[in-house]
Amino acid sequence: MPVSAPEPRSPLVQALKPGRHGAVGARQVTLRAYRRSLVQLQARKGRAADLATAVRQGLGLALPPPGRAETSPTLAAIWIQPSAWLLCAPYLAEGDLARSVRAAVGSAGAVVDQTHGKSVLRLSGPTARAVLETGCRIDLHPRAFAPGQAAATPVGHIDCILRQLDNAPSYELIVASTLAEAFVDWLLHAAAAYGCEVLPPD
Amino acid sequence: MHRIDCPWCGVRDEIEFAYRGDATVKRPEAGAGVDAFYAYVYERGNPRGWHIEWWHHAAGCRQWIKVLRHTLTHEIRATAKAGDTVTAPKP
Repeated sequence: MPVSAPEPRSPLVQALKPGRHGAVGARQVTLRAYRRSLVQLQARKGRAADLATAVRQGLGLALPPPGRAETSPTLAAIWIQPSAWLLCAPYLAEGDLARSVRAAVGSAGAVVDQTHGKSVLRLSGPTARAVLETGCRIDLHPRAFAPGQAAATPVGHIDCILRQLDNAPSYELIVASTLAEAFVDWLLHAAAAYGCEVLPPD
Repeated sequence: MHRIDCPWCGVRDEIEFAYRGDATVKRPEAGAGVDAFYAYVYERGNPRGWHIEWWHHAAGCRQWIKVLRHTLTHEIRATAKAGDTVTAPKP
């Protein structure tokens, strides 16, 4: 019996209502959920150099060193732990990203599809850093954290992969889907003093 | 609150880490006998001074790291990757 591929359905469909939350004013932030394909890529033992070469040739991307993210027009790679990266791409079809990464890296790396396991959010605006600082223990000041940098750290007591996208500033927040609803609940409270415009999901 | 310099992630708060005990304990040889294994599993020193410890960066890079910490002052003098050697200063 043919089984249709499951479409990823964000747990935030119910929790994240588009519209304005909290205070009204010019200092508001923007929050949006993004539908993304995610895979975790881990180098096989002793194959880190092979993996870096395979990813550069097959996916056109240099795997970033600790604490950093690399992007190409279609793909982002975020360092998450030694010899392991989270790859993030616009959602096309179920399993497509994992298949193409697996084909590119061959036996040099292990590929695990995380599309349903993690949820992607972006928080943007002049006060975005102030909002995150209420629950994030790393220094996000521009002297310490800039676009291209990434960190795995708890935000609002929930483990989060955080990376800065631009100087708006905009931050991408990747959390476990099972905790995404609780995370957004916290985030909207943290942003209430400045106001938060929730955009419809991407 | 400790501030621990993870060799992978940089300085992070203690809350991201889990303490995982004495990093100097060595597993005995397979035929070492029950007393040696009892000591390996259960017996630990309680030093007043420098202590080489395992800390697990559970909420960050998920790596186990070695930390040289003073049990009296809580000073952290060195951190290292799991495979690196850390030596305690003379008391």
